[in-house]
Amino acid sequence: MMDKLRLGVFELTDCGGCALNILFLYEKLFDLLEFYEITEFHMATSLSEENHYDVALVTGTVSTQRDLNLLKEARNHSEYLIALGTCATHGSVQGSVELPIREKLKAVYGDDGNPMRALDSKPVVEYVAVDFALPGCPYDKNEVYQVLMDIAKGIEPVRKDYPVCVECKLNEYECVLVKKGLPCLGPITYGGCNAACIRSGLGCIGCRGPLPGEVNPASEYEILKDLGYDDEYIIRKFKTFARWEP
Amino acid sequence: MIIELREFTRVEGNGKAEIVIENGEVKDVRLKIIEGPRFFELLTLGRHYYDVPDLEARICAICYLSHSVASVLGIERAFGVEVPEEIALIRELGLIGELLESHALHLYLLVAPDVFGYPDAIRMATKHGELVKEGLALKAFGNRIRVMVGGREIHGINVKPGGFGRYPTVEELERVEKESEALLRLARRAVRLFAQLDPYGAQARHFVATDGYLWGEKLVSDEEGAFHYTERIEERSLVYSFAKQSRYKGETFFVGALPRLLLKSEMLTPAAKRLFEEHREKLETGYVSYNNLAQAIELVYSLERANEIAKTLLDRGIEGENIPVEPREGEGIGYVEAPRGVLIHHYRIDASGKITYSNIITPTALNHAMMEASLLEEARKLYGEAEEQAMIGRLEETVRAFDPCISCSVHLVKL
Repeated sequence: MMDKLRLGVFELTDCGGCALNILFLYEKLFDLLEFYEITEFHMATSLSEENHYDVALVTGTVSTQRDLNLLKEARNHSEYLIALGTCATHGSVQGSVELPIREKLKAVYGDDGNPMRALDSKPVVEYVAVDFALPGCPYDKNEVYQVLMDIAKGIEPVRKDYPVCVECKLNEYECVLVKKGLPCLGPITYGGCNAACIRSGLGCIGCRGPLPGEVNPASEYEILKDLGYDDEYIIRKFKTFARWEP
Repeated sequence: MIIELREFTRVEGNGKAEIVIENGEVKDVRLKIIEGPRFFELLTLGRHYYDVPDLEARICAICYLSHSVASVLGIERAFGVEVPEEIALIRELGLIGELLESHALHLYLLVAPDVFGYPDAIRMATKHGELVKEGLALKAFGNRIRVMVGGREIHGINVKPGGFGRYPTVEELERVEKESEALLRLARRAVRLFAQLDPYGAQARHFVATDGYLWGEKLVSDEEGAFHYTERIEERSLVYSFAKQSRYKGETFFVGALPRLLLKSEMLTPAAKRLFEEHREKLETGYVSYNNLAQAIELVYSLERANEIAKTLLDRGIEGENIPVEPREGEGIGYVEAPRGVLIHHYRIDASGKITYSNIITPTALNHAMMEASLLEEARKLYGEAEEQAMIGRLEETVRAFDPCISCSVHLVKL
């Protein structure tokens, strides 16, 4: 039998959801374990003995020196590194707080700030080259399953290249932007979530980050303005998960 | 001399501890929360209230729904909005799903490997596969409820001020009714397993919880009279941690499953109440490690209560109407029992619906001082007696008993 691939899960500063989501694969996790051996996964195991990984999953933002060291370690010791989740790919909500780090620390921890070293929360992709980026807050767990299976079989995983609207239409959900006038970022956001928010009758909040290429953020901006949302509200909405300047 | 424990494993988030030894004795323990700060209070400032619960959900993945509900309660109280029983029951059902998902994760995947001597649940599964499967079944059920009420397994968007984006269907509720009954047997087995463990850690002297079982208008403690957190709980910054520390009237205190049982046992469902009575003597010693047993009893409570709620909603039928929410200037505090204890979201909102003040205190921050006290007690007991490796293992278990949620804890506090 072929040797199993060594998989490491590295968690930088985040809510823990991207690591947790791997455990939420349930029986599919056991399917993955046919191909992978988990040799580093802080949240799930006390074992940690390998220093080489065929695949490293890195979640979270770089927010401390510890995060940066851990990220470099993961990069230096892995063949294939995946930035997993919107924190790692775009910075997500914690990366969208716009103040110099010193002022942020002072505002939260009091006049003296906190003497521990903190960095501005930035995505993994700003510090190291990644082999694959899978956004989502959280990412769709079936997507990471597919990506890991592809790698195990020697196939380069495919990156989704369509907006949330495509999956919304496939599910035949009613368009909340047109029909209800809700602020929905579906037309300009990376698909792959199976339109989870629209399923609840609510607008897409853009948690998978902006789809580059042929989408038209300017026209989305105009639509939201016509619906009566003010500039500040729209700009914040655009920036929240991906620090995106419309 | 300082003994540095490596980063905790099988806990959510990044933290470690140092034990300070002087003249051959344990002098001090420092619990260091090294997860980077996340500044959620700053994130919400100036935001329109409608978007805030979705953002606050991102504080934590294990208990995102507790954060959304606490956020929604704080906003509704600021606006003077009251929701009807139907909406309250569905929210409660969501919190129960979260309790099941979170407790099952903690007990079966994070603590059970210690009980049987394995580094993790995956390796434990070779010999105790049945138990791991039972845990996953409970967890998956909890998650299905979270999807139904919250909209997703993690970071749902369905819980809104005044109601929901989408209401549960009759079929979904029937499934909850059926499955909650079927799973009860597994939860009872968990109680037997965790009742066998010997106590460790400190004995807590003060307990704090919300005045209702899963949320409340105010907090209660072992003393007379409900109170607002600002009256008796104080927070301070530490030089060695990104999480702040809280004290109850200047002393350490405990929030979580054990405090809930001890302060609110009369609110339990029948089978959970019987189990509580059976183990009351043990639980009343206040050892923090009995939090594991208390969580197992809460698995039973959650399944019984989920069944009751599903039945009630099916009997009366779902109307699915949201309550209109009009912003007005105001201040509100949402108190929720997250799986690991009291969670506080406190907001001031202006007349246009924008957040002008926000303070969030999480259970792990409330327990921070108690965790340190427990580590100190346990380290004093073991230092010089046990092998260093055994001591370190037990200290990790002591922290784990609190089921700490470190990611949650690193952004707290006043502006």
